[in-house]
Formats: sequence, structure tokens, C-alpha cells
Amino acid sequence: MKRGSDLPDYREQAPEVAARFAKIALRPKILEVRALGKMFGSHETLRDITFDVRRREFVCVLGASGCGKSTLIRIIAGLETATSGQILLDGKPVRGPGPDRGMVFQNYTLFPWLTVRANVMFGLRMKGKSAFEAETEARQWISMVGLLKYEHAYPHELSGGMKQRVAIARALANRPRILLMDEPFGALDAQTRAQMQAYLLKIWRNVDVTILFITHDLDEAVYLSDKILVLGPNPGRVLELIENPVPRPRSREQFVSPVFLSAYNRISELIHPPGSIPVEKVPIIRMTMAGDDVE
Amino acid sequence: MQSEVLTPFREVSERAGFLLTLASFILPLAVWCIISYVPFIWHPLVKIHSPGGVSFFREGALVEKKVFVAENSKMREQGLQEAIGRPANPIFLPAPHEVAIAFFKAFTTPPRRSGEPWLHESLWHSIRIIFWGFFWSSLFGVPLGILCGVYGPVAKLTEPVVDFIRYMPAPAFGALTVAVMGIYDAPKIAIIFIGTFFQQVLVIANTTRRLDPSLLEAAQTLGARRSQLLVHVVVPGVISDLYNDMRILLGWAWTYLIVAEYIGASSGITYFINQQAKYRIYDNVFAAIFMIGIIGFTTDRFLAWLGRHIFPWQKQERPGLLRRLQLARAEAIERQAAQKEAIG
Ligand SMILES: Nc1ncnc2c1ncn2[C@@H]1O[C@H](COP(=O)(O)OP(=O)(O)OP(=O)(O)O)[C@@H](O)[C@H]1O
Ligand SMILES: [Mg+2]
Repeated sequence: MKRGSDLPDYREQAPEVAARFAKIALRPKILEVRALGKMFGSHETLRDITFDVRRREFVCVLGASGCGKSTLIRIIAGLETATSGQILLDGKPVRGPGPDRGMVFQNYTLFPWLTVRANVMFGLRMKGKSAFEAETEARQWISMVGLLKYEHAYPHELSGGMKQRVAIARALANRPRILLMDEPFGALDAQTRAQMQAYLLKIWRNVDVTILFITHDLDEAVYLSDKILVLGPNPGRVLELIENPVPRPRSREQFVSPVFLSAYNRISELIHPPGSIPVEKVPIIRMTMAGDDVE
Repeated sequence: MQSEVLTPFREVSERAGFLLTLASFILPLAVWCIISYVPFIWHPLVKIHSPGGVSFFREGALVEKKVFVAENSKMREQGLQEAIGRPANPIFLPAPHEVAIAFFKAFTTPPRRSGEPWLHESLWHSIRIIFWGFFWSSLFGVPLGILCGVYGPVAKLTEPVVDFIRYMPAPAFGALTVAVMGIYDAPKIAIIFIGTFFQQVLVIANTTRRLDPSLLEAAQTLGARRSQLLVHVVVPGVISDLYNDMRILLGWAWTYLIVAEYIGASSGITYFINQQAKYRIYDNVFAAIFMIGIIGFTTDRFLAWLGRHIFPWQKQERPGLLRRLQLARAEAIERQAAQKEAIG
């Protein structure tokens, strides 16, 4: 937890924030997750997960490592099947993976044998668009993520951040109903991650897209999201769906604002309840040599 | 200080690499030279220069050192002239320069009997056998291997029996192939095929299975249908690895050549080697063996070189030919677009 007790309640919303949530509530539901359960053999990974994502909403899923976040998003993407419950996209149940749910993975999954441009064209070509049409469209998306200069580069010639930008462009080029992102910035260094977060917000402002974003980084969740779905472990279940009280537009200066901290502290409380992180006693081992003056 | 040489997977600089490559050939050659040219190393025989009083010594004959010494001491006792000779190696180990000379002379020496093939004809025949054996094997083995790697049921149906047959030595099929296909080239090609095909299916299947599965998932979330994955993801995803597999497999195919050429009517380089050994011209035997090595080695180097140029997405120090073409084309198109913009 970042600071003491003189913070506002995380449920208090400034008028403009409340107005935004009221507006979102009127929008149609894009994704509905209904009583989702998942067993791996006899191991219950997810239990009774229920939530909605409305049009153009930015929802973060947050939880400790191993609580089933990836499993959840993979089920939504259609890469894994649920044991119970239902996923509806625009009211229709999803079956198997499809281009209406774009996905950005944590480990870079650009096709190494295709150039940046060809990677972005991939989905369009699969749809049966002509090479010319696909190329024109792909270039627009590449220019949107600021990589036109690299359109002929191969993935191995790009940095991690650039790869993820291409992955985002590649997913968006299909004009998906929802963009699923599984810890897309998890492997990046802090500086690049901050850049990519700002980038993503900019893209999200300019492109009409709904985002479901998985992370285990509390700052990231509060910085990006409209709502935060906090999952608990063993089995993975919804602890709380938090409406993020931090007003938009977001900036990194807000990281120390009282509203930000109130939300941060609440999530922190949920995923690390006091005394929940056991630390084993470590024996004291001296590594000093004779003559060393340490104390 | 820690030795940098012992760091695992450390890249070797181009210069050092070249020197090491050179050394890898020069070192064994040096050993061979020492054995051949330094008289007190090995040289278990004596080449008779003048037989002296020994009745059964002939000039130019090779005798064992022990016999030579014994006979000479006998001569000394009897007061006869001693034999003169110098240390020599057995006839089956010719000196490097003899082999080098044979190497060139072999091509210019006509065959002993008319109707026998020249050396270059023998070599060419061998290369043709390898080529067709490997071609037919790859034509069926590569697609089948990829299918095994991709589709579980195909693998379960195919791999056990392939693995079973793989352990039967290809030469064991020799008599059978001759019975079925006659004595000329067909059974030889079949032996190369049998020796290569079954390994090939398993190797290719294994390489195919190493494709990162998240690429298949990514493709599916981009709208690729299951039926499109094979052509659009699997094949391009593994092709450069398959290419390297093929290089190694081609090397294996060569190891079946000698067996293949023994069956039916002996032919090709094997026939040449056998004939020369029969005539006890071991210089030629070595020359022919080296030729096989040289052909194999240069083919492999060539394929390695080609491999660096035909897969433009490979990570390497200098971009390959295809990559450079790609970039040049992109640049030209851009320049055109810029010009159009400037005019319009
Ligand atoms: N294919 C599988 N087979 C068996 N168990 C699995 C499988 N996939 C995931 N699990 C289990 O499900 C649980 C949740 O895994 P998951 O990858 O969804 O967690 P996560 O929240 O994404 O973790 P992280 O933050 O480390 O990515 C883990 O205990 C894992 O061992
Ligand atoms: Mg995960």
C-alpha cells in the first residue's frame, strides 16, 4: 500500500467520472461472460466468472500470478474451451477463435517469416482481400502505430516495444469487436512499458475499439482502465469489479493523486490481504572473510 | 583471468573461423605427411634397394623390418654382401604427393579395358544415383513428414511402422530390390530411397513439431481457418529448418551409396575403387575416396551458402541476396511514389 488513511473512498466519483460511467452503461454490451468455469483435470482454475464489457470500454483484468487470467482470456479468444458457462459476443455465443476477437500475446507472436507489412496484412489476406487492398489498409495501421519506416523490416530486427506495436496494428487491422491483450507489456522494460501504455491510450482514443487488458501491474491497471476486474486465486474468481475513479485524460502525474491511490490501495488490499504473503524465515549466513570490516 | 574460448556458444570471429577451418584440414594432412615422410615414424617395412646376397629379396620389394634385419645378420655371419634398403610404409598407405598425382592422373588415364568407364563417368554415375534416390525420397518424405508433424492421427498411423522399418538396415533389402527391379540403376536408387526415406519422415516430423504453437494460435485469432494453417503458417514457419535438415539427410544418402553400388551390377565410384584395389593401385583408391569427400563437402557448403540467401527473414550479419533484392525493390517503389508526389 502506497500511503496512509486520509484518502477519499475509491467508490466516490467526481461528477465527470460518474457521467462517463452513466454514458458507458447505456452502450450496448460487446462481450458478456456468464458464469464461466474451467477445470484442468481435477484442478479448478476458474469459478463462476461473470462480467460484461460494453462498447468502447477499457476493462483491465487484474490478479496475482497463476490465478487464471490467461486461461480466462484464452477462453474468450476461443483458444481454450470452458468447462461451464458461456461467452457471448454481441449476444451470440462464441465458438472457436475468430478475427472478431483480436489478440495480443505477451510473448511476441509476429510471424518471423513475414515483414512488418506482411504481418499486418495477414488477417486481411485470410479474409480474402486482394493484395493491393490489404497493402493499402495495412500501411494505414502501420502508420498509426508509427512504424511506417520499418514496414519492410522483419520481426527479429525490431525491439520488443516495436514488436508489440506491430502486433497491435495486426490485430486492429481486422477491425475486431474487441481487442484482447494478455500482459502485452509484461516483457518490456519500465521505460518502454510506460511509453507503450501512453501509446495504447492514444490509439484507443482515436480508434473505435473495445479493450480487455490483462495485467498483474496495479499501476498499469489504474492508469489504463475504465473498470478493473480483480480476480482472486484458487480457484480464480471475481473479487470485485471496480469502477476506476481516476478522471480522463490520464497522465503519469496522477500516479500520486489521492484518487489514484485510493483505487490502488483498494486493489492492493484485495489481492494481497494483510498477512497474505508468508515469508519464510531465512537463516543468517555470514560471507565475510577474516579482516573484513562490515559491522 | 577466465578463458574466453571456453565460454559456451561464443561466436567465433570471421578471421579466427577461417584459420580454424584451414587448420581442420591441415592438421590431419600434417599427421599423414609425418607418417609418410619421417622415416623413423611407423614405417614397419623396408623397401629393398639392392638385394645383396639374400636370395629371395627383389629390388623394389617390401619386406618386414624383422626379416630384413635377420637376413642381414645372417649375411654378415656368412661374409656375404648385405642387402640395402630404406624404411617404407605398406602399400595401402601411399604418401600425400602420390595421391595428389593420382588425383589428376586418374582423370586422364584411360580405363584398363575398353568398355570400362572413365573415372569421371563413374563419378557422374554415382551422383546421378544419389540425386534420384534423394529426389524420390524427398518427394514423398517431406510432405509425409510435415503431415505427421502437424496432424496427430497421421503421425500415429505412420510413425510406428516407419520407425520399425528404419531399424532394418537398407542393405538388407539389396537382394530384394534386385529381384524386383533388375540389376541396373533402379535397385540402387531404391536402396538410397530406403536408406533416406524413413529417417527423413521422422526428422521432418520432429522439426515440424518444434514450430511455436502460439504462432498457430495467433493466426487463428487473425481469422485463419484450420485448413489455412498448414499452408500459411506451418510450412513457412518451418521451411528454413527443414532446409537444414535436408542438408544433413543428403549427407546420409551418400553413406548408402557404396552399398547401393555393390548390389546388382557393381557400378559408379564403388566399381572404380574396387577395380583399382584389385590392381593394387592404392593411390587411385585414396584419390577416389577423397573425391567423394570433396563432392559431398562442396555440395554441402554450396547448399549452406544458398540457404543464407534464399530465406530473407533469417537473422544474420549480412543480409542475403533475396533480402537485398527485397529492400532494393521497396526503395525503388518508394522513390517512384515520391517522384509522383513531387510532380502531382
Ligand atoms: N493447459 C493447462 N493444463 C493444466 N493446467 C493449466 C493449463 N493452463 C493453465 N493451467 C493452470 O491454471 C492456472 C492458471 O494459469 P494461468 O496461466 O491462466 O494464470 P495467469 O493468471 O495467467 O498467471 P500469470 O500471471 O503467471 O500469467 C495455473 O495454476 C496453471 O497451472
Ligand atoms: Mg498469464
